[in-house]
Amino acid sequence: MHQKFFRSFDSLEPILAFTDQFFATRPINPAARYTVDLAIDELFSNMVKYNAHSPSLIGLGFAWNEEQVTVTLSDYLSEPFDITQPRPVDITLSAEERPIGGLGIHLVKQMVDSLEYHHKDGCSTIIFTKLTGNDDA
Amino acid sequence: MLEIESGEDGRVILSGRLDTAQCAKAQAFLDNLGVPSVLDFAALDYISSAGLGVLLIAQKRAMKAGGSLKIINVNNHIHDIFRFSGFDKIFRIERGTH
Repeated sequence: MHQKFFRSFDSLEPILAFTDQFFATRPINPAARYTVDLAIDELFSNMVKYNAHSPSLIGLGFAWNEEQVTVTLSDYLSEPFDITQPRPVDITLSAEERPIGGLGIHLVKQMVDSLEYHHKDGCSTIIFTKLTGNDDA
Repeated sequence: MLEIESGEDGRVILSGRLDTAQCAKAQAFLDNLGVPSVLDFAALDYISSAGLGVLLIAQKRAMKAGGSLKIINVNNHIHDIFRFSGFDKIFRIERGTH
């Protein structure tokens, strides 16, 4: 199941509807679903924010089996930016010392089960997986 | 969608989803309010890193004024986000029963 969305934060609402539609017939643990929503939100928003002038749409695709869901985001006209590279975030800083922002990729890395980045022919592709948690007691 | 309003007892009540698209709305509300002390998350289902940024700005403002923010009725999923980001150490948090 795949769809393309306009490069805008306003696309997050139709993306959520698309995600709801996908999972309507595919069970997933609520915590895993939260992770899927968060990772899509963070990764899509980064594509909007840091590649704002690209004229291309952004692709979002889902694949699913009982054990895990695989999500693919495609930024068709983009410069390479490998999000899997280490970018340490100090989560021990006090509120006064904390910078605003910079937590999105950190959260994604903490919460998904696998994360890949590829760049080919000008297209950045991010693939993440999350266990569905359907066998949890 | 996000709804944000002031309750009768002064707490700020958020409901729905505080995602990247809704942060400007939350930020504008909190900027106009000044320095809130309690945020009620009982009906807030979701928060992203952009939402955390809104909370951090409000916390920095509150601390400059000599106070600090308390966030109440936090659901398990949002509490996980606080924990993964270290925000559970910089806010007073009360978990909800849901």
